Amino acid sequence: MLRVREGDDEAFAKLVRNYQDRLVSIFANMLGERDQAEDLAQEVFLRIYRARHGYEPNARFSTWVFRIAHNLASNSRRSKGRRKEVAFPGSNSDSQASRPAEQQVPEKSALMPARQLDRNELQERVREAILTLNERQRMAILLHKFEEMSYADIGEALDMTPQAVKSLLSRARENLRTALESYVK
Amino acid sequence: MDRLSRISAEQRADLVAYLDGELPEDRTHEIETVLASSPVAQKDVELLSRTYDLLDELPRPKAPDEFSEKTLATARLEAMRPDVMQSPAVRKARKGAVLAGWTLGLVLLAVISYLTANRWIPRESDLLLEDLPVIERLDEYSEIDNFTFLDRLSRKPQLLRDMRTGGRREAQ
Repeated sequence: MLRVREGDDEAFAKLVRNYQDRLVSIFANMLGERDQAEDLAQEVFLRIYRARHGYEPNARFSTWVFRIAHNLASNSRRSKGRRKEVAFPGSNSDSQASRPAEQQVPEKSALMPARQLDRNELQERVREAILTLNERQRMAILLHKFEEMSYADIGEALDMTPQAVKSLLSRARENLRTALESYVK
Repeated sequence: MDRLSRISAEQRADLVAYLDGELPEDRTHEIETVLASSPVAQKDVELLSRTYDLLDELPRPKAPDEFSEKTLATARLEAMRPDVMQSPAVRKARKGAVLAGWTLGLVLLAVISYLTANRWIPRESDLLLEDLPVIERLDEYSEIDNFTFLDRLSRKPQLLRDMRTGGRREAQ
């Protein structure tokens, strides 16, 4: 980032390549929408680029990146208002949600082996479970799981103390356990 | 510890931090002691751990191939585009607007102060106007000896009439 501050565009390109998939993954699971995830990931990089001249290496760069991401995700959800969340393109969650399970099973069974069906169903339930968490819990869980960030770094990104992160993650994991109880027994 | 009792809320909160390796040494030791003696706690930890493993099923979509090129191009374009807000004309206009705002504020303050003073603080001329009826008849009042006489006069209208007629006769 120090090279980016000095105007090295190649360093910025490297930074984008290093973080692009990580940010898209986080946003996609935060918002449940892939297209919007890409837009927001790009916005993170544009904000970094705009702020490059004033950058001071006070904290870890990654926590700064994910702090921007958290703020953008929060703003995005607020501006979305009451609009219903839409699943990833290609997902069949919408059609599933609107129909009873007994109507879904024969159709899906006809298309794929039972094992694949189980896996898809499990993925769907996990995605639904993560979307039941509140915004901070979700971001904390994703940063911990995907980025393997420590409580201190998560606290830095979410503007919380490590102790508060500990409580947040504990509640989040309890909520997930309740939501996914039937799949872990 | 009772083998069937559930663990406390505080210990439960610590279980997740224990799994994440985020507990200090003394708390870690405490949780390990609890786990060694409580099947309930062991089961809780196992379920929490397996639930966390399920998060590996979450999708991890990748950015499209052209993402970095597009982002870089957009950033460069944005950097090249002149910032309208920083142009001399806009900066001058903003300075003017600030100055006009302050001027308007001061004028409003002066008007409000004037109106307040005018309404609540009486001037010398206001006091004179208030006393005008008395001043106009000051000569008449000075002829009255005292308040006792004035009081008698107000209670006896006949005396007042006599004085008036008497005065007229003297004038003739």
